[in-house]
Amino acid sequence: MSRFLKLAVFAGALAALPAATLGTAQAQDADAGEKVFRKCKACHAVGEGAGNKVGPHLNDLFGRTAGMIRDFKYSNAMKAAGEGGLVWDDESIATYLINPKDMVKGTKMAFAGLKKDEDRADVIAYLKTFSAGGGEEAPATQESKAEEPEAKTEMAAAAPAVMAKDVAVPEHGVFHLGREALNEEIAAWDIDIRPDGTGLPVGRGTVAQGEPIYADNCAVCHGDFGEGTGRWPVLAGGHDTLTEERPEKTIGSYWPYLSTVYDYVRRAMPFGNARSLSDDDVYALTAYLLYLNDVVTDEDFELSNENFTDIHLPNEENFFMDDRASEPHYAEKSEPCMKDCKAEPAKITMRARVLDVTPEGEDGEGAGAIE
Amino acid sequence: MSDINKPDKDGEPMTNAKVSRRRLLAGGAALGGLVAGSTAARAAGTPDPLITEIQDWNRYLGDGVDSRPYGTPSEFESHVVRRDVAWLTADSKSSVNFTPLHELDGIITPNGLCFERHHGGIAEINPADHRLMIHGLVDKPLVFTMEDLKRFPRENRVYFLECAANSGMEWRGAQLNGCQYTHGMVHNVMYTGVQLKHLLNEAGLKPNAKWLLPEGADASAMTRSVPLEKALDDCLVAFKMNGEALRPEQGYPVRLVVPGWEGNMWVKWLRRIEVGDEPWHHREETSKYTDLLANGTARRFTWEMDVKSVITNPSPQAPITHGRGQTVITGLAWSGAGKISRVDVTIDGGRNWHAARVDGPSLSKSLHRFYFDFDWDGSELLIQSRAMDEHGNVQPTKEMLRSVRGENSIYHNNGIQTWHVRGDGSAENVEIS
Repeated sequence: MSRFLKLAVFAGALAALPAATLGTAQAQDADAGEKVFRKCKACHAVGEGAGNKVGPHLNDLFGRTAGMIRDFKYSNAMKAAGEGGLVWDDESIATYLINPKDMVKGTKMAFAGLKKDEDRADVIAYLKTFSAGGGEEAPATQESKAEEPEAKTEMAAAAPAVMAKDVAVPEHGVFHLGREALNEEIAAWDIDIRPDGTGLPVGRGTVAQGEPIYADNCAVCHGDFGEGTGRWPVLAGGHDTLTEERPEKTIGSYWPYLSTVYDYVRRAMPFGNARSLSDDDVYALTAYLLYLNDVVTDEDFELSNENFTDIHLPNEENFFMDDRASEPHYAEKSEPCMKDCKAEPAKITMRARVLDVTPEGEDGEGAGAIE
Repeated sequence: MSDINKPDKDGEPMTNAKVSRRRLLAGGAALGGLVAGSTAARAAGTPDPLITEIQDWNRYLGDGVDSRPYGTPSEFESHVVRRDVAWLTADSKSSVNFTPLHELDGIITPNGLCFERHHGGIAEINPADHRLMIHGLVDKPLVFTMEDLKRFPRENRVYFLECAANSGMEWRGAQLNGCQYTHGMVHNVMYTGVQLKHLLNEAGLKPNAKWLLPEGADASAMTRSVPLEKALDDCLVAFKMNGEALRPEQGYPVRLVVPGWEGNMWVKWLRRIEVGDEPWHHREETSKYTDLLANGTARRFTWEMDVKSVITNPSPQAPITHGRGQTVITGLAWSGAGKISRVDVTIDGGRNWHAARVDGPSLSKSLHRFYFDFDWDGSELLIQSRAMDEHGNVQPTKEMLRSVRGENSIYHNNGIQTWHVRGDGSAENVEIS
């Protein structure tokens, strides 16, 4: 049971609402649905305090008109569907989930769909527990939330006044400011990894273990084989393209150090649900990314803190320190020409309008991407 | 999709429909230059009703004080906003938008118009819940609250912040029509904060301390390796911009200021600084913010932002609407190495150059405002600006940069920008021989 449900039951009981409705027929399906929802979690949040991620939040989904959450940037197709009267209910959600792009052509949702009837029914039951119409908990939770600020104010007012002269001043440093960080606090935040392995947690994971974790959490944006969907980053391939007109900079073709993969996945991925994977999960994912990049070829390969620094990425040697100052246009430091600097009048050799990718409020799709 | 300069992938010719949409977007006044520039003509014969008739705002009372407790710009300035280029990124949570440089003057960028670059969306943090930790190679690891930070001696400094990818879409040639898009990943703000070295000294640096790893509290937990010398030289931990609290999108309640160096290092929502003896080689200093050269090798740690300038007016979003006669060309110049010593302007595509007039404060690692006032005869112009800094660095041409680096560097494109001004006053982004 999710934290939100527990809170909701608790709040519901306090408010003497019929909390028992939660425990009936739908509960079993909802529990199964919570597992199915893992496929959705990379992009959608639901539950207490859920906000929009890559996709809109799914609280109070049932009865909501499609494309109506104000601060979420929907596709034009989804907004049009809502304006055309699409309201999310058991039936419309079930149809949408079979294949989103079939039902709403042009939707931004890259998810291929849930093909099993049972999965769809379960995830719908699960989502319903977060809709006001699907249970009694929503109003009760809102009430308990609304009470919070008042309680804080009271506590602040009740705190006894401390006289300035009685405040303890630490002895460290020059200005005697701040307090000593505790080891538990440092451990909670100090998650960075270096190429020499400093910072790696104890743990392990295999390519085979990484595959389903990748499929559930990463493939929706990065593609089944790390090829990237839409403009999301490409993770694999691109070997020997760095000197080509269109280089493909991937972990295998460009990144110098494997430690960067572990560090970045652990601190920032999955996008919108950071710090949700275990250390072993991250080892398994890192192993799987090595496999997608042909750095390892054995599905049983296990990556751990013990063999981590044995792995080297192919492009490690091709980075060097900034030497812009040695480029002729900087090194010369010569006085620039002011008069009669060109023999011929300047001619236009290229115009922006030939490409015309300046934003115009519509779908002027241009070239290139940044992440 | 790692690079931002693939101009010919989806290139398509401009249609008439697109011309009109663009001109409208460029701010109303842009409807074919001279057509909209007719306001001055009325006095030839017919009296101007704006003068002869009593206007509503001259008769009726306006809103009282407190009707706008936090003041906002005039409704007639509603087009002056940051804009994004939607096709650049997969998702707005990890994306960028652009400062409307062509609508601004002087050297300070208003807080609400400073371009945004986030890697995990805007973190919304109650300052009472924010902590800054310093640990690693220090005598005593420390935790500071915001209240603690504000008790260190404060400084006020004006610095530009430029994204290393500013102008990155222009490596393969002229692509975007407007200095907002070609050069708008820069802003210039007066920061109030405390010297980073005060915080480090408070914790006490160990003799082998050489590098810092600042980290953000946002959903990307942004990190960059910063050499200790820079931190001890001029880095600030800032909590105010232009006198008021940092905006959430600029790192409220506290950010790192790394003067003259690429914007990605100015970690927002700063919550942790680890002190170490080696760099960390994290994602934003390996996969990103490294400069790929034509031979397949790549520069790393290209921190300093290069000497650079751009004419902001006239430019494609800000055409000349008044016809020939007295005309002001203005723009911005900056260098991560220090002060700007000179800016030259050409109106004939670089055959002859004229020293521009720098006006307003000339501060190290800050934007400089320049003007070139001249009598336009109405003929076509190819206008450029060229900045020099106090160390003798001269802004190179785009061709010079390409000949050394190729076209796949993405970052650090400080090449000279050309606008083609037509006889009707409209302007276009071009490259010239």
